[in-house]
Amino acid sequence: MNAIADKYAKDGVGSIFLYTNEAHPGENYPHHTSMEQKFRHAEAIRDRLGVARQILVDSLDGACHRAYGSNPNMTWIFNRAGTVIYKSDWTDAESVDNALEYFVDVAKRRKDREKLVPFHVERLDYRNADRLAFFNGLKLSGPKAVQEFANAFGPPPPEFNPDE
Amino acid sequence: MEYNYEKFIVPDVEQMLNFENSPATGSTAPDFPLWKLEDQSETSLKAWWSKYTYMVVEFGSFT
Repeated sequence: MNAIADKYAKDGVGSIFLYTNEAHPGENYPHHTSMEQKFRHAEAIRDRLGVARQILVDSLDGACHRAYGSNPNMTWIFNRAGTVIYKSDWTDAESVDNALEYFVDVAKRRKDREKLVPFHVERLDYRNADRLAFFNGLKLSGPKAVQEFANAFGPPPPEFNPDE
Repeated sequence: MEYNYEKFIVPDVEQMLNFENSPATGSTAPDFPLWKLEDQSETSLKAWWSKYTYMVVEFGSFT
């Protein structure tokens, strides 16, 4: 998503990462009990996961996150008027790239005085499901996060090494 | 179910998820106060979408 942010910055597209609650709390990144802790975890997003976009932190009770559905890794796109123009219950860079390519073209068509009216479309997009990468991400949070996810959705793939 | 839950238990977490009833495309997005990581100063979602032709917001956490 950092690359998408860079790609479209010249087209007037801003990108932020909104830090929410810990989806899989573990020993290293437990559930939040204070804003100070929440800011520390958000720093880890920047420093350990390399999120280069502006990071904004939600309130401790997740007021913003909850209003938008509470899903752990959504992407939303708004226009300058604050109208929701894209919402995705899971973040996928290809889907966001595809949507932005379309919306940037819409802005150009408007600039060329083409008369456009909005309409609704529903689409089912597809993302990679890399189970090993997901478990490796959980490992950063700690063994508890790995175990709880495995309890819910089955064990990690055989190539997963919890000690690596 | 606590928003900041301590344990990931699927039925409990699923009860919290409400994407189906979240703001619809074409509707005005609700605004909320947010805080910048860089200096912990208060801002808002609206302050960011107002700056750009389009604003991409990825929600997420460490995991």
